[in-house]
Amino acid sequence: MSDPGQSGGSGLAERRESGPQRVLRLGRHAFEPERLLVMAIVNRTPDSFYQPGVTWDPAVALERVHVVVEEGADIVDIGGVPARPGDEVPVSEEIRRTVPFIAAVREAHPELVISTDTWRHEVAREACAAGADLINDTWGGWDVRLTEVAAEFGAGLVCSHAGGLPPRTRPFRVAYDDVVDDVRSATLALAARAVLAGVDPARIVIDPAHDFGKNTWHSLEITRRLAELADTGWPVLVSLSNKDFVGETLDAPLDERLAGTLATTAVSAWLGARVFRVHQVRETRHVLSMVSAIRGDIPPARAVRGLA
Amino acid sequence: MITGAALAPSPPLLCGQLTGRTPVLPELRAACAEVIARLLGEDPEVVVVVGPAAETGAWDPASGLNVAAFAPPVTGTGTRLLPLALGLGAMLLDQAGYAGPRRLQAIGQDEPASACAELGADLADSSARTALLVMGDGSARRSLKAPGYLDPRAEGFDAGVERALRAGDAGALLRLDQALARDLMAGGRPAWQVLAGALPAAAPGTEVLYRDDPFGVAYLVAYLRPR
Repeated sequence: MSDPGQSGGSGLAERRESGPQRVLRLGRHAFEPERLLVMAIVNRTPDSFYQPGVTWDPAVALERVHVVVEEGADIVDIGGVPARPGDEVPVSEEIRRTVPFIAAVREAHPELVISTDTWRHEVAREACAAGADLINDTWGGWDVRLTEVAAEFGAGLVCSHAGGLPPRTRPFRVAYDDVVDDVRSATLALAARAVLAGVDPARIVIDPAHDFGKNTWHSLEITRRLAELADTGWPVLVSLSNKDFVGETLDAPLDERLAGTLATTAVSAWLGARVFRVHQVRETRHVLSMVSAIRGDIPPARAVRGLA
Repeated sequence: MITGAALAPSPPLLCGQLTGRTPVLPELRAACAEVIARLLGEDPEVVVVVGPAAETGAWDPASGLNVAAFAPPVTGTGTRLLPLALGLGAMLLDQAGYAGPRRLQAIGQDEPASACAELGADLADSSARTALLVMGDGSARRSLKAPGYLDPRAEGFDAGVERALRAGDAGALLRLDQALARDLMAGGRPAWQVLAGALPAAAPGTEVLYRDDPFGVAYLVAYLRPR
């Protein structure tokens, strides 16, 4: 287990000035700062908001993993409970939906980074034991024992801002003096706590969690000012895919939000986000590669026009 | 003595600056404008906006809705921390062009009925012609898509509130179950109980101008005129 490292308590997470980002370690990989990573959503639920039940059948879900790996996914995010309110899913059921599947994915793809989309430490423990490398907690540390599990297994942790909402609740008239400052301080506090608990700092990611405890205006504002989050030095994950803030901006129903999602993806990448949690992997991979080339981080795939 | 009481809901979407390019619930906005017109038409000496908040207290009458808290980077001159209900009440008065004396009175969401009623009685006594603008909502748990999801008790609770208001029944309003109202996210409970304390002994006449829950939150627009 890695040493939490540098000195300091509350100063630890604040010490980075804007400037070069660090390597992000996930599983056995070490991703350089220029690498833009795609996290493919594979939901083991019958009722998630987008294409509900599409990967409820484990065989279909495993096939989906093969497909997204082919399409360029770096990480597969496996979740068993939808974010929206609904019938309660007990811990045992969440484990049943996700853990054997995680084991199957690990066996089929030894090098693939697997993340477990859960807020509950009991589920995270079983998921990490089965091979998960990263705990994706969208609800901002609601279960205080989650960091223990990450530390115990040497797993990574996503530190999200959920605006204080309990899991699976909707925002109700949420207001902020400054939503970006609130996101920044909440995620930095979670990151600092995680480091103190023994989580490897190189495996920590922050996520403003668009639409979680935020309305459309707030989600647009955090996108607009994403550079302030990237400037903390922690790698930033964004989960934009087909969300309501895109739908409300464009007046687009659920199945017409791809262009809006990709536009937000490009802007977020330009402003410094490094990990992108998505439904449509191939298109996202294209957008990110384009941004990387525009930045000068990668060369074109093949350039001959005007050079013959 | 109150000249009349207008009831209006307090969702942020009542404010046109917050809802984007498409008009949202124009019929609700029209009903609110209509009820304000009734209220001001009685020529009150003062209009008191009563609205639920974290704590009871009076706010500077010049305060305004803090739009930017909901919609950065819309800039505005709103008052930081002004309770939403009071901000929306002030907005409705401004939209009606009301330039007369006003008060902004927050009532704490956990105040018991007795404290609310006492405040209401004080407000009614505070001038000879006091108009009340009572801001507040019924349950936010009325449907699967509601902000508070679905609680099957919501419909019965809100129906009971509406019955009490239509009958001008102060007693029934004061008997509303405080814990249930909180469970059901019915934020208007303390404001209606302030209203109950301000009502005269003879039940007023009530007219309902709007009642609907298009987003799973109960919105009611009504006017109560003492007989």
